[in-house]
Amino acid sequence: MIFKIEDVEVYFPYDNIYPEQYEYMVELKRALDAKGHCLLEMPTGTGKTIALLSLITSYRLAHLESPIKLIYCTRTVHEMEKTLAELKLLHDYQVRHMGERARILAIGLSSRKNLCVNTKVLAAENRDSVDAACRKRTASWVRALPADNPNVELCDFFEKYEKDAERALLPPGVYTLEDLRAFGKKHGWCPYFLARHMVQLANIIVYSYQYLLDPKVAGIISKEMQKETVVVFDEAHNIDNVCIEALSVSVRRVTLEGANRNLNKIRQEIDRFKATDAGRLRAEYTRLVEGLALRGDLSGTDQWLANPALPHDILKEAVPGNIRRAEHFVHVLRRLLQYLGGRLDTENVEKESPVSFVSSLNSQAGIEQKILKFCYDRLHSLMLTLEITDTDEFLPIQTVCDFATLVGTYARGFSIIIEPYDERMPHIPDPILQLSCHDASLAIKPVFDRFQSVVITSGTLSPIDLYPRLLSFNPVVSRSFKMSMTRDCICPMVLTRGSDQLPVSTKFDMRSDPGVVRNYGKLLVEMVSIVPDGVVCFFVSYSYMDGIIATWNETGILKEIMQQKLVFIETQDVVETTLALDNYRRACDCGRGAVFFSVARGKVAEGIDFDRHYGRLVVMFGVPFQYTLSKILLARLEYLRDTFQIKEGDFLTFDALRQAAQCVGRVIRSKADYGMMIFADKRYSRHDKRSKLPGWILSHLRDAHLNLSTDMAIHIAREFLRKMAQPYDKAGTLGSKTLLTQEDLEKMAETGVQDMVY
Amino acid sequence: MSNQKKRLNGGEREDEDEDDAEGIGEWERAYVDDRSWEALQEDESGLLRPIDNSAIYHAQYRRRLRMLSAAAAGTRIQKGLIRYLYIVIDFSRAAAEMDFRPSRMAVMAKHVEAFIREFFDQNPLSQIGLVSIKNGVAHTLTDLGGSPETHIKALMGKLEALGDSSLQNALELVHEHLNQVPSYGHREVLILYSALCTCDPGDIMETIQKCKKSKLRCSVIGLSAEMFICKHLCQETGGLYSVAVDEVHLKDLLLEHAPPPPAIAEFAIANLIKMGFPQRAAEGSMAICSCHKEVKIGAGYMCPRCKARVCDLPTECTICGLTLVSSPHLARSYHHLFPIAPFDEVPALSSLNDNRRKLGKNCFGCQQSLIGTGNKPGPCVTCRKCKHFFCLDCDIYIHESLHNCPGCESIHRPKSVSLMEE
Repeated sequence: MIFKIEDVEVYFPYDNIYPEQYEYMVELKRALDAKGHCLLEMPTGTGKTIALLSLITSYRLAHLESPIKLIYCTRTVHEMEKTLAELKLLHDYQVRHMGERARILAIGLSSRKNLCVNTKVLAAENRDSVDAACRKRTASWVRALPADNPNVELCDFFEKYEKDAERALLPPGVYTLEDLRAFGKKHGWCPYFLARHMVQLANIIVYSYQYLLDPKVAGIISKEMQKETVVVFDEAHNIDNVCIEALSVSVRRVTLEGANRNLNKIRQEIDRFKATDAGRLRAEYTRLVEGLALRGDLSGTDQWLANPALPHDILKEAVPGNIRRAEHFVHVLRRLLQYLGGRLDTENVEKESPVSFVSSLNSQAGIEQKILKFCYDRLHSLMLTLEITDTDEFLPIQTVCDFATLVGTYARGFSIIIEPYDERMPHIPDPILQLSCHDASLAIKPVFDRFQSVVITSGTLSPIDLYPRLLSFNPVVSRSFKMSMTRDCICPMVLTRGSDQLPVSTKFDMRSDPGVVRNYGKLLVEMVSIVPDGVVCFFVSYSYMDGIIATWNETGILKEIMQQKLVFIETQDVVETTLALDNYRRACDCGRGAVFFSVARGKVAEGIDFDRHYGRLVVMFGVPFQYTLSKILLARLEYLRDTFQIKEGDFLTFDALRQAAQCVGRVIRSKADYGMMIFADKRYSRHDKRSKLPGWILSHLRDAHLNLSTDMAIHIAREFLRKMAQPYDKAGTLGSKTLLTQEDLEKMAETGVQDMVY
Repeated sequence: MSNQKKRLNGGEREDEDEDDAEGIGEWERAYVDDRSWEALQEDESGLLRPIDNSAIYHAQYRRRLRMLSAAAAGTRIQKGLIRYLYIVIDFSRAAAEMDFRPSRMAVMAKHVEAFIREFFDQNPLSQIGLVSIKNGVAHTLTDLGGSPETHIKALMGKLEALGDSSLQNALELVHEHLNQVPSYGHREVLILYSALCTCDPGDIMETIQKCKKSKLRCSVIGLSAEMFICKHLCQETGGLYSVAVDEVHLKDLLLEHAPPPPAIAEFAIANLIKMGFPQRAAEGSMAICSCHKEVKIGAGYMCPRCKARVCDLPTECTICGLTLVSSPHLARSYHHLFPIAPFDEVPALSSLNDNRRKLGKNCFGCQQSLIGTGNKPGPCVTCRKCKHFFCLDCDIYIHESLHNCPGCESIHRPKSVSLMEE
């Protein structure tokens, strides 16, 4: 359907549109008009992605004189593929109705592992070794070697791509990763380098968060984007954590040992070069005198990692004199490693600010702040000079330099925490030195500054006013949309008591109470006997899950559950969990029924959907607070209180509730779907907790469902499942339209936007 | 919640029972069994009122009707009048649950009995067989046959609920039975499923494909909640899947399966079937009937081909295999082929009131007033042909039991009578 939103003609590839999608587009258009940033919360399953894509592409077509570019950031490769598939559909529709004018180039960009077509390179098992294997074949000095040298193996795809340098272009269209690979194979061009090259020319780019937020990667991939760009962060409820992780480094004893080995290797290489090709080292020295800004003279493929600090922090000054020589630099690094090793030997937990860390480093090891700042770039330059290609082996030293540069650059928003052992296992020494970033706004600031509009959107962004504070920006639009539904297809319940009327909670003093454990068990036993197909349970942590399942096993509760349904458990091992999930799905498909035990904040809670019969009920056992004794969390809380005036309690509840909402939100992915959510903890009934849940859940949480005991919940669940099994009318009744047609929209445009939607 | 309401219901007698400390009293048990509070719901202002289901039922019925007529509106629709139906009843552990009073098992049995009678009433040429699932194994209760009494007797004799349930075993068994049925008959399975899972020995998907291949139309009526595998089964084989909300709904859902479904297109080849119309044998003479092998006096039919004696019609002659029916049986099957068009709903708008007043305020069927409470016009429907108004109850009665419209009939009759007189 084609309709107008103010002055923009919107091309929407479906015949009907949900009212909230229309509203979403209206708000988004306002943000684009104002050239500002926006925060939009809309429940999953309401077609957020297609609404977003169709408005932005239509907006671009309406303003062809200054076309905007779209960068769409997703969390996982799977989501990236889904987005590109929808974009393809939309693009076909637009081309059909507008002709060639609507043609665009849209590509997905991912790591070499996902894009490479060279079978020998792909044989490597993980991402880093794929990268290294690729570099081994494509680095400029490798290619410069005579072609008849039998030891040199080049990548045919890359050679062909380089040969056709100017002609190697993608024709307009939408390319998923699969399409890119197919295209690369057909033309014999390397899809990865082709895609990286086309990023500058493409109208729409879909890639992962890291390409924008992690300064190490962003420096290479995203540096030359135009200002007139719309950046979308999809599923962005955890964006602050991504930002923080991008700037946090942790160093363990293994890292230091590895770094030492790397240094020895570098040392050997230096000696070898001195003997054979001393000119190279001298050339590097002169280059460094002129400053790091000249990095650009190396050929494009050789730039592999940029500085971990942010672009504006890299000073255009020369590298300090005392690390210009390779040997001197290696000495500095040795001293740094020694110092770090000494710090790791501590027996107490230590917490320090970067400033005091740097000053003690200066007094004890004689390394100045300025030297630290340049560590990463200096290492980078050295490795290029020494022609080291197997970068995966040099990760430890890179981590250490990464650490040094960050410590040297930032005085605020970070802290250094040294823990001699893990809190939970105090008798196993496992010293770790962490540089943890507390300020999410540091990593995302350049994105806000550089681009015209940044859209942050997700199914759960409540409370929506906290995000601007955490990321320190001013949104022009921030709204939370409700879901219009033809029937009450979600049924949230707060369960506060067991069938014996004793309160249940995972509060620290109550969680190991046998009564609570038993009541939780009884709840699950009852529920599996009345809920068909799949049931998902989320626990607050792995250790709690292990404990409670062990108790259930002893008391025979697990056996009772197994009579009704098969039981699958998430573990920290990814392969094991994938297998468990696969079997869980099969058990749901064939009618045997299954329960999946999972952990809030785990991989499953973040990325796996339990839609339709794969999840008819999700039980959240307890409130998933973070581990509050963690030193890093405490340091961050303190920072948040001092800098942003966010109270500790507020932040913890916010974080716990967004995790809980994320967990239970897995169960419903479309309007035709239905599912129940049980929040099993007495603390959920308190207003301060409950009110932080997203609006679309709250609006279905009836007062009568706020303080339930097990048997009442069972009764409600029975009725709900029966009601949902009845056939229903998809378009909704006249009173509350949930599907709008073209005529409806036109009618709405006449009467004014606001009053027709609700 | 339930505790409070219970006290509400039995409030006036509480004083007498106060000293009765041990367990629940006799009076209380009656309420517990009855669960009368479940029939109440709270409205917006917090008042209690009985759940008003009549509107829902009517909506469901209209949807059903529309579906049928939409299918009929296409081309000339073929219906299988000779059906071979297996009813599979799940007597696994879940059937002992008490959410239907007194238990799911008893309720199922009761309504299946009614269904069997209704089925033979509407499809006199068809046959039924019964299968039960118990302890994860499917048992044949009765083989295909045309006598309601045998089935009902076999069904009522075996009321106990045990063990797991297995959909696959049941389907395999039924498939084996139905595969031998002659090709003109329509193979159907109706499964009453109370469990929420199925413990199968093998891959149920293969079994479903097998059923699809041999044109078994599988329908499922669930008793507790929607299950994916049942939905999948019905979608694949072209059957209906429904879940009962309560006992009345269960009965409706069951009876929905009594009229013959439209035939599966590629399967619906017109066939000639040889049938015999036996005459009632001489009263008072003694003979051994071929069906029960007993000596009986009178009250029997004689197969026109081999002269064997049978007790009931319709049936298949046990001696020569001829299908034996009587002509009323055939006639009764006809109304499925020429159904009455669904009535139009009359919108309750005042502008239409004039038109309505002209035609009277009473239902043409039962003569009840169509004015609802508060002098507002109640919901009513009208026949497209004769334009008479009917109340909702009559609407259902006319379409589901009577099969002709009293309005149209009363217009036609004088004409035909006068024609005859001429």
